[in-house]
Amino acid sequence: MPSERLTVYIIDDDPSVRDSLSLRLGIDGYRTALFADAEAFLAALEPGWAGCVVADLKLPGSSGLELQHELQRRGVRMPVVIITAHGDIDSARAAFQAKAIDFLPKPFETAQLLEAVHAAFEREDRRLQGEEARRDEHSRLARLTAREREVLDRVAEGLHAKEIAAALGISPRTVEVHKARIMEKLDARNVAELVRFVVRGSGAPES
Amino acid sequence: MPLIPSGLLQGRDRLALLRNAALFVPAYMALDWASYIYPLGPFYITPWNPQPALAVVLVMLGGSTNFIAVFAAIVLADLAIRGAPVGYAISIAGSLLLALGYSGIALALRRLVRDTGLRVLHDLAIFTVVVALGTAVVGLAYMGLLQATDQLAGTSFLRGWVRFWIGDLVGIVVTAPLLLAAADAGRRQMLLAMVRSPEAWLQVAMLVAMVWTMFAMYRENAARLFYLLFIPLIWTSLRWGMPGAIVAATIAQVGVLAGMESRSTILPILELQALVAAFTITGLFLGVTLDERRASDERLRQSLRLAAAGEMAGAIAHELNQPLTALAAYGESAQKLLDTGGDPALTREVLQKMLQDVKRTGEVTRRLRELFRSGTTQLEPVAASELLATARRIGENVIRAAPVRLEIGNGDGLPALYIDRVQVELVLRNLLANSVESLQASKTPDPVVRVALEALPPEMMLLSVSDNGPGISAAMRSRLFQPFATGKAVGMGMGLAVSRAIAEAHGGSLDAADGPHAVFRLVLPCLPSA
Repeated sequence: MPSERLTVYIIDDDPSVRDSLSLRLGIDGYRTALFADAEAFLAALEPGWAGCVVADLKLPGSSGLELQHELQRRGVRMPVVIITAHGDIDSARAAFQAKAIDFLPKPFETAQLLEAVHAAFEREDRRLQGEEARRDEHSRLARLTAREREVLDRVAEGLHAKEIAAALGISPRTVEVHKARIMEKLDARNVAELVRFVVRGSGAPES
Repeated sequence: MPLIPSGLLQGRDRLALLRNAALFVPAYMALDWASYIYPLGPFYITPWNPQPALAVVLVMLGGSTNFIAVFAAIVLADLAIRGAPVGYAISIAGSLLLALGYSGIALALRRLVRDTGLRVLHDLAIFTVVVALGTAVVGLAYMGLLQATDQLAGTSFLRGWVRFWIGDLVGIVVTAPLLLAAADAGRRQMLLAMVRSPEAWLQVAMLVAMVWTMFAMYRENAARLFYLLFIPLIWTSLRWGMPGAIVAATIAQVGVLAGMESRSTILPILELQALVAAFTITGLFLGVTLDERRASDERLRQSLRLAAAGEMAGAIAHELNQPLTALAAYGESAQKLLDTGGDPALTREVLQKMLQDVKRTGEVTRRLRELFRSGTTQLEPVAASELLATARRIGENVIRAAPVRLEIGNGDGLPALYIDRVQVELVLRNLLANSVESLQASKTPDPVVRVALEALPPEMMLLSVSDNGPGISAAMRSRLFQPFATGKAVGMGMGLAVSRAIAEAHGGSLDAADGPHAVFRLVLPCLPSA
């Protein structure tokens, strides 16, 4: 079963196409949301949405390619599949240049679309897991006290307990206590894991 | 391989040759007799010699095997009309020389001219040069024969030669194009169209009036007013092309001959005939230039019409691909539902949707068939209200969910249009989609697209598609209708060029009006109002 938190957003001006694709994807357990044009989709779009965008190339108003660019501009990282009844090389090239995950000329076999959506969801899953892990690490780092954070940064720089004690003006024994507390709070088993936390946690978590 | 003597012709060919000869010989003799006027001494040399045109056209169209008929006709004519004044031996020798000469001219033309309808400048130029040089050479040879056999009796060699040359040149240049046109189906059609046109009769009347004036004003020197004839010549040639020039030249020639016959005084016959030759050649070149231009216009229109067909085929393919995509997805869904023991009611619903899309596909193929019925524009009466309803349907289709208002005018009291339904729908779709796209792109507040219909008496109707968007810049307007002019990212940019081609194929027009907002004006034919 595809992930519960992912949705296939189908944007096509043809009601039959929308309905049939939604039905077919629904049978395979995908959640779908339908829009008649790019403007309606963009108006409804919320930051937390994740999954895959299946957009027709030629839409009333903005085209599928324009939608792709608008999503990139807004920092929406959902994979996009472009479907079109006018499959020409130029628009396929443009779609792939804008990082479309697939380009399907109509009429296509639904299996092709399922494959593309499957690939898109795997990518989304990886992306979401990565984000969660980062968010998790970040929240754990946030539990450290200011002093503990100072100690951790120096551990990551490769300093020994004595050197850290000298630098911070505390006893080496206190440094050891801090280190133990940090290991516990971050759920790290050894120094190497501590270092990895600092390296990854230096970036801001992505929303 | 059966042994057939190579010189013998097939029975059917021989029959055709005999039939040609049976028609040609009397016609040649009759023309020779009719044109045996103002002769130089007792010879064949006259200022108007149309019968060589017959010989040239016969050999040009029929081939060298017709040489015998040409030779026989010349010998018989000299015997019957002039009684072979120079003696039989020289008469036959002279006839052989003329037959060889005319056949030579004809074979050169047969080889060099691509289309015997003389439709392009190249062919007409070759025709003129070959005839001018050929008749000069034949004249030289003929005069040489007369001089060698001491027959000139006081006539100057040079004077005789020039007279021979002008007579034959004007005879062939005026008459051969007429005969070639009569032998050509396309040209014949044009000549028939002229016979039915009041304008052509007016042109003929003007020519006749000019010729009459020419002879009436200056009894002794009609050539002084010859330039008057150029006015109707130019009119006729520019109106009808080559056939017009041929008709004008024929009338001028007949008129000049009639004028000369009606005067007892001696006129500068040679000068008049030289003028007729120049007049004819001018007219022919004018006519062929117009023909070429018309042909290239027609080719362009044809290619635009093909582009229109291509564009329509593309549009229809697009509309087929939509239901096919849906059918594939519904079909697989139904299969899956059956395989997994899904809800039968749902399966039935899916099948019902499939049937609807099949119907839609059938509708598209019906339109495809209509489009390719004959490959050309098929006009039928369409009520004004029906066209406006179509515009509404297409407009709603194009606008969909976009916040654009559609205002469709009223067709009450307007006559029915006379149009190709499928093609005009394509134009409407194009114009409406353009308007909606530009309104959306410009983010015009309260966007409106208006479609209005009004009569342009007596037989035209103006359909205007306007919007309250930013309009069309002057720079864009100048190249709006050229192929591949596009302001859109998607599409082939052929829309407006094709739309205009469709309007013109209807005998109408399509243009963009000046103004702050976009207004497209499509003029279409309608039935005369009741």
